[in-house]
Amino acid sequence: MVLDVAESIRTRRSTRSYDSTKRLPREVFEALEQAVLNSPSGSNAQESHFVIVQEPDQIRRVKRFAQGVSGNPAAVAVLCSNRVEALSKGGADTAETLRFVNLGIAAAYILLTAQSLGVSSCPARSFHAKAIQQLLGLPEEVVPELMITLGYADQPPRPKTSKPSREVLSYDRYGKESI
Amino acid sequence: MTDTARNRSEEERHERLLDFVGYVLTAARALGKEPASYGPMRLVDTLTKAVELLEDAGIRDESVKGPLAVIRENRWQATSDPEAFGEALDEAIRRLVEVTLEDARRKEQAEK
Repeated sequence: MVLDVAESIRTRRSTRSYDSTKRLPREVFEALEQAVLNSPSGSNAQESHFVIVQEPDQIRRVKRFAQGVSGNPAAVAVLCSNRVEALSKGGADTAETLRFVNLGIAAAYILLTAQSLGVSSCPARSFHAKAIQQLLGLPEEVVPELMITLGYADQPPRPKTSKPSREVLSYDRYGKESI
Repeated sequence: MTDTARNRSEEERHERLLDFVGYVLTAARALGKEPASYGPMRLVDTLTKAVELLEDAGIRDESVKGPLAVIRENRWQATSDPEAFGEALDEAIRRLVEVTLEDARRKEQAEK
């Protein structure tokens, strides 16, 4: 069963414990490919690069230098940014800021695509960028900025704690609550 | 144990040791810039990993199971509810104090 976008958003929680015996089927990787290829970027600069690590030994090597990655995921998507391309194609704003926004949008696409297919996930920023760059053979200008673990959760998600909606959402002007 | 099995197990132990050293070094490098609540979380993860390594090496001690179970159950609160996580650490420490006092009583009785 495939969940629609609204249901994927409503049900997704970060997962830190995976069933290590379950691998991801080919359709999941194909769907993730579509997610990143269709993710928008400012000025259509497309300066992001994505490495999906799914070979068990390589996942272990990545995890060794990624203290924020928990559990035994079936795959780790490493979201990278090409700083040189960001500047040449998108200008200074993309090089300084927009490349992170672009990666954030791509991350949401990946998280929701995974969730829609019943695959759990968790974004992680705690890793040693240089070490990961070396392990993945990334060129100097391609820098890992975010990881997303993917796999089948082996326990129910933790309860979600959210701020009250009035603290995060306004209508028409800051602090106005009603629609 | 066959030579192949022994070699495989030595190789696995080597990998697990590298996993542990990599985790601690990477965590140490990042903590200066990360949220303060990550510090306690990384420390208890280090503790759990160290105990697992010792178990791999055949060093097991049931007396630490209780305190570690409390931490395992509450680890997820380290960032979402640092106060609750702090209380869980207090409970784990309280259990370890019990173990310590029990050991002291046993030693005292043995010396009598």
